[in-house]
Amino acid sequence: MMPQDRDQSTPILKASVHDVRYLTALFRGVNFSNRATVTITRTGFTITVEEAHALLAFIFATLFDEYAYDQPGSGEDLDSQSNDGDNTAFEIPLNTVIECLNIFGSAGMSMSTSGSYRKWKISDGGSENDDERNEEHDPTKQKKNGTLAGRGIESYFGGGSEKRTSMRLSYSGPGYPLTMILAEDASGPTTTCEITTFEPEPILDLNFDNSRLLLKIILKSSWLREALMEIDASCEKITIISSPPGEATTIGIGRRRPLEKPILRIHAEGAFGSTQMDYPNDKDVLETFECEKPLKFSYRFAHINRTQRALQNSIKTSLRIDDEGLLSLQFLMPSPQVRTNQEGQPSAFIEFRCLALDDEGLE
Amino acid sequence: MRFRTSIDDIQTFSRIVQTIEKIQKKCIVRFTEDDVHIICNSETNEGSLQVWCKLRVDCLFSDYRIQSNSENTITLMLSPEALLVALRSATPPSTSSSNTSGYETEEVVMKLAKKNDQAVLSFEISGLSRAGRRMRVTHDVRIDVMKPADVELLEEPRVPEPDVHVVLPPLSKLKTIVERLKPMANVLAFRANNNGKLQLSIYTESVKVDTDWNNCVNPKVQRQNDERDPDELHEVCISLKGFLKVMNSYIVSTTTIACLCHQYCIILYVYIGDVADARGVLTFYIPAMVSE
Repeated sequence: MMPQDRDQSTPILKASVHDVRYLTALFRGVNFSNRATVTITRTGFTITVEEAHALLAFIFATLFDEYAYDQPGSGEDLDSQSNDGDNTAFEIPLNTVIECLNIFGSAGMSMSTSGSYRKWKISDGGSENDDERNEEHDPTKQKKNGTLAGRGIESYFGGGSEKRTSMRLSYSGPGYPLTMILAEDASGPTTTCEITTFEPEPILDLNFDNSRLLLKIILKSSWLREALMEIDASCEKITIISSPPGEATTIGIGRRRPLEKPILRIHAEGAFGSTQMDYPNDKDVLETFECEKPLKFSYRFAHINRTQRALQNSIKTSLRIDDEGLLSLQFLMPSPQVRTNQEGQPSAFIEFRCLALDDEGLE
Repeated sequence: MRFRTSIDDIQTFSRIVQTIEKIQKKCIVRFTEDDVHIICNSETNEGSLQVWCKLRVDCLFSDYRIQSNSENTITLMLSPEALLVALRSATPPSTSSSNTSGYETEEVVMKLAKKNDQAVLSFEISGLSRAGRRMRVTHDVRIDVMKPADVELLEEPRVPEPDVHVVLPPLSKLKTIVERLKPMANVLAFRANNNGKLQLSIYTESVKVDTDWNNCVNPKVQRQNDERDPDELHEVCISLKGFLKVMNSYIVSTTTIACLCHQYCIILYVYIGDVADARGVLTFYIPAMVSE
């Protein structure tokens, strides 16, 4: 693929961030299997983690302050669609990377938002996101995390230490380690980590074909998070039931009887009983709701539960299901600036793809 | 054999015991007329490290009275865990979150006693309850008084002249870093030179992590031959877990000086209080790991 005798002083990838917390939050979100595949592309890199041939998670990161990928053997090929083959991939132990990033303890130790999670608020729910964005931009607000309980960037990262770890990363190609240089400030210590890279294993191919899309929902992550938090960990499977809004009958209103055809229902079954949650057809809750036809698919709750870490720290969630039940959950993650790349995608998100359990299919 | 004293600085005393407790189940405490020594010299603990702690009596205690047939010293063995429990219940509530006693301590007396033919260190805590009532709490910590013959065998480890003396960065900072390294490796390479450089490294199959400090202070020491290259790095490979236990002493430390004997051992002097007016010092002997 590329010459082995490449000089280490000319890395093919150089990148830097001034604050590792955003990156660490992404890594932590997919940290359920120690081996992760990193694919470097021109615009950023993806990290892919797979579990039980049914769950795939990847993050797409372009949140670097500085990013230079010198494609091995690349010509002046400017067509961004055709350079897929020029991507470089390797495997790394993800746990080790996270420990290294947090070497000074300032990569955001407590990621839990348990003390500050938001309540169900219909009235001003729509404005919440904007508040968060503004606070991310405003460094003075970040500092007084104590007074901003439950709001702003600090609620994602637990706040605490004022110091931020900055990081410089380089990779010289197959056979070379991934090198990270970390420092808090100029006077303090610097840490150099060389993380062994491995040849990538083939990744499960779970392509989501948008033309076969049956359901597409965009909602604030807290709406989904709180629903999933209700579900007991002992639950075996979770079922997503949805039908187009027109067909959803509304006879239940006022009588608190479950709707016959809910527009979105999450149903979980376990040893100790079952839980059922319906979402209202309200723009404040479901920002986008597109459903082609009634559907009902089940997933292993253990798999869905893997998303918890990512979900907890994310801002918005996009939920999609195709006609075979392949579930795609995209979580928009906080980033230093909400930038978009050419395709109009946000700069950092975590995506989970999960296969449906069995062929319950359409109703 | 008589021994009786009031404990003035309970917080410092209990923090020291807290550090010791993490290292060894049993420790030796030796009271002399001027100093208190706490010694852990068992080979069985993690990384077979030793602690020799020396504290000035007048910094911790008052009304200190000691009398014995062996030059007014008393040497005993006790469980630091039990000692810590006694001290915790004597700690004023405001400074310790672990205190649940709900009373204010006025005086803590520690004395040697014999109860049911068992030698004990008896802690008599008198204080005021929240309602303002006077109350007394007594803790007895079981001890074994050591025979003078055994005491004579106690000897601090002998070490060669160190190659490097270096003042360490704050131990709380070091501890954070060593904690991160713990899941990744068992052996920590501790390197330093006489030109302000300090490096903590791990090296395993999957990762190599070096953390460098370049602006450390090398205290001046009198040396016979100072011809050596100050930039030469000296290295000692030690047990990472053992070192992390030593890092627990950050709660009492002000200044810490590390002395390296190349591939032989590290001696860590953790000063309690200001170095100039040292109230005490915890000395850790951390031997190099034999293999690996």
